[in-house]
Amino acid sequence: MRARHPDSEGYVESGGLSIGYEVFGERDVTLLLLPTWTIIHSRFWKLQVPYLARHFRVITYDGPGNGRSDRSVDPQVYSLAAQASYAIDVMDETGTDKAVLVSLSMGSMWSLSVAAEHPDRVLGQVFIGPSLPITPPAAARAGIEDAFWAEHVYPQGWDKYNAHYWQTNYQDFAEFFFSECFPEPHSTKQREDCVGWALETQAEVLVAEAKVDDVDHETVLELCSRVTSPVLVIHGDHDRISPLSRARRLAEATGGSLVTVQDGGHIPLARDPVVVNLLIKGFADRLSGRQKAPA
Amino acid sequence: MRAREPDREGYVDHDGVPIYYEVHGSGHPTLMLVPASPITHSKIWKGLIPNLARHYRVITFDGRGNGRSGRPTDPESHTRAANVADMIAVLDATDTDRTVLVAHCHATLWAVEAIAANPERVSALVAIEPLVPFLGKSQPHWVETGAHWDEIIENPSGWEMNNRHAITTQHRKWIEFFFGEMLVEPHSTKQYEDGVAWAMESTGEILAAGDDGFMLDFPGQETMDGIYRDLGIPTLIIHGELDICQHVERGKAFAEITNGELVVIEGGGHLTLARDPVKVNRAIKEFVDRNEGTPMQQHVWPRGLNRKKRVLYVSSPIGLGHARRDVAIAKELKKLRPDLEIDWLAQDPVTRVLEAEGETIHPASEWLASESAHVASEASGHDLHCFQALRRMDEILVANFMIFQEVMEEGLYDLSLGDEAWEIDHFWHENPELKRGDHVWMTDFVGFLPMPSGGSHEEYLTADYNAEMIEHIARYPRIRDLALFVGSPDDIVPEVFGPGLPKIRDWTEEHFQFTGYITGFEPPTDDQMASWRSELGYREDEKVCVVTVGGSGVGRDLLEKVIAAYPLAKQSMPELRMVVVAGPRIDPAGLPAHDGLEYHGYVHSLYRHLAVCDLAIVQGGLTTTMELAATRTPFLYFPLRNHFEQNYHVRHRLDRYGAGQYMDYAVTDPEAIAAEIISRAGDPVDYLAVESNGAAKAAKMIAELL
Repeated sequence: MRARHPDSEGYVESGGLSIGYEVFGERDVTLLLLPTWTIIHSRFWKLQVPYLARHFRVITYDGPGNGRSDRSVDPQVYSLAAQASYAIDVMDETGTDKAVLVSLSMGSMWSLSVAAEHPDRVLGQVFIGPSLPITPPAAARAGIEDAFWAEHVYPQGWDKYNAHYWQTNYQDFAEFFFSECFPEPHSTKQREDCVGWALETQAEVLVAEAKVDDVDHETVLELCSRVTSPVLVIHGDHDRISPLSRARRLAEATGGSLVTVQDGGHIPLARDPVVVNLLIKGFADRLSGRQKAPA
Repeated sequence: MRAREPDREGYVDHDGVPIYYEVHGSGHPTLMLVPASPITHSKIWKGLIPNLARHYRVITFDGRGNGRSGRPTDPESHTRAANVADMIAVLDATDTDRTVLVAHCHATLWAVEAIAANPERVSALVAIEPLVPFLGKSQPHWVETGAHWDEIIENPSGWEMNNRHAITTQHRKWIEFFFGEMLVEPHSTKQYEDGVAWAMESTGEILAAGDDGFMLDFPGQETMDGIYRDLGIPTLIIHGELDICQHVERGKAFAEITNGELVVIEGGGHLTLARDPVKVNRAIKEFVDRNEGTPMQQHVWPRGLNRKKRVLYVSSPIGLGHARRDVAIAKELKKLRPDLEIDWLAQDPVTRVLEAEGETIHPASEWLASESAHVASEASGHDLHCFQALRRMDEILVANFMIFQEVMEEGLYDLSLGDEAWEIDHFWHENPELKRGDHVWMTDFVGFLPMPSGGSHEEYLTADYNAEMIEHIARYPRIRDLALFVGSPDDIVPEVFGPGLPKIRDWTEEHFQFTGYITGFEPPTDDQMASWRSELGYREDEKVCVVTVGGSGVGRDLLEKVIAAYPLAKQSMPELRMVVVAGPRIDPAGLPAHDGLEYHGYVHSLYRHLAVCDLAIVQGGLTTTMELAATRTPFLYFPLRNHFEQNYHVRHRLDRYGAGQYMDYAVTDPEAIAAEIISRAGDPVDYLAVESNGAAKAAKMIAELL
């Protein structure tokens, strides 16, 4: 059973696709929890939504390709511009003038893009385990994009990041990937959850998405330079997907704060939900200068 | 002694009345603390300044009519406009473009009028028990007595004294009544004394003129409502629920009309800033940080299972006394828990011992306000009224607690160990929601005892302090996870805590574990003693008398008296050699020189000298006298006058061990000291053996929490 059901839910037509969203709570300040890589969908916010919705209005949505949104094998629906437009369309559809954007991993790009293009609609941004080509990737992942179309026999480790392998052994890839995401001991439930969400979409969708290559180092820095609202970055120093150096660089480039989760992996929002919840709330409270409950 | 001295002070004078101001710290933003003068002055902020100045730039000033400011007696010099002009003049003089205003009681109206006239100068307002006219409810006694302000009332009592004639002619009576009403909280003796003393620095005539001036050109309700509504800045209102000066409904209404934040202190009165300084400090800091956008610093959060076990050790810095036993306990603890990390929050002179022992001193230690300097400042001659000294240390205790709390929160310690760290024990009981980790409380005496010189009032005060402590422990047994008494039940004085309160021994046996005495060293063997004596250069054919007064700087008078005895004793004991250890805080220059008499500053391993000498002459401090008991050295001890711990607790314990010769400083002259030296130097003793496993015993109990 879900700990908190949405107060309203719906779909917005965006770029010919149906995008499913959910709204929780009715407070003055809105948090927009962005989707991340299509391999999982908005349920990954399940440990944040019930708590945050007691203090803020919270909106989640699924990007195309997973969850309640349309599946598509057209690479263009996964482009940076398209992803940013889903966020704006969901905000418009839900009557949200301004929001604090909260993102995980790849969602960081879309958050940056919205903040740079629509500064009047963004109160601030929280980045969790941001994955951006802003510093080199972890050594184990170097060159995986280049080998994406290669044909391996019995690929091991990051060689499994491969179109052919996904088409034949998608679940095994998902199991490998999420074991990398959660290096913390005792993470069985978090890995199972993510693999389960991964199996709600198909390899073809992820392969189509992988064809998009529209973000480079310069794009990221240019977007960062246009960010005017406050930034909080939360990052595990044992993140095997996106190294801590990226979080440092992002905080630097946006004048933001950085909280390092020592011995934490790529998805602290699932593995260390309490500290992440408190950090998001503290950040949003400061932004909105809102009243603290009397002691 | 103050917990913090200003970085800058000065005067402004815009209309012939000099206004004294202080600037503390250099952070951002600036906070201006506005006292409700002339009944109080800037000292009322003493519990807040040290903490706030570590984070922000803090300005305070004495309002006209009190403190170090001028004292006009005509109402026209006490108008609200004049007080507002003082605030602006101080802002100008300190180059302060913009400030957060923090105001108490009627100073809130000045603050509000200052904001209305100078909106660009103020970014936020904190109002504590605010007087904001026309809002909420008025306390009826102000309305009733205000109607008779100009009359002459025969024998006024209570609120009837709120009358120009009564305030002018019976100032003290009014002030004592007033502060009695303001402090509704039990155990407020110190805050009451402070309030009365600050008020009495001014006069009744000035106080009445202040009241008259405040009412001149009083604005109407419509004007004020407009000003409140248009304030346009964030506000925080802190209000004691039982405030009998300004009704709590008034604070609530002010929060509502300004769309501000509200903190109600349940059970609090009109002086929450003095009575609950920790809560008020934290509420202000959280408000300022939220509204002034103080950026979060880079922060590391270690995952729970990956943390090393960490202990924060807080060792009482009053004298060198506790450092050695605490180091001994820490070493035993590390034997039992080899991976344990121990950080020390400590100050000079304890840090000297810790550095010599290679212990880790937390960098926040350098922020601590000096308790030992305070104690030294309280001593006069061979006299230290340590109970009153502790009471007057209130602002240092708050300042140091705030540092401790930040260190505990940031350092994620598993356990704190406080060896007579009064501030932790007191303020965690007063603010139990702030407790972090397990806490071990350690002491070698229980119970404040009155000295005869303090009379019945001191009997009342010590009983009140004891009662508060007993109530603290009864209400929050979870604050002390372990309470260690350094000693045995027989060491507890056969006294009661006060009228109607328990016997100290019964209560202590119920609430403490006993470690036996902890010397912090292995008792030396006879062979060791012999080799120490030769290493230290003390010959067998001389009688060595070591004189020491500890590390706190208290004791020059005793040194002088003992030195005066030296030539007298030397006449009949030519083999006498006197070694005077003056300690780090007493300059031996100026003390007389004699053949066979030598002076030293700090001596490492002083206990070796004390162990092998033929006679020691010391004050009545527990650590040194018990070291002498443990090494079976003959000694004379002179408790400091009015020091209840040395005169009762320590003496009782030494009597139990049959150790040492008690000496009364007041009635002992150099001749008498010389006689004691001659009769006791080198004499065999028959003391009860002092326990040698206390540190290990304590560590074992502490380790069970880790």
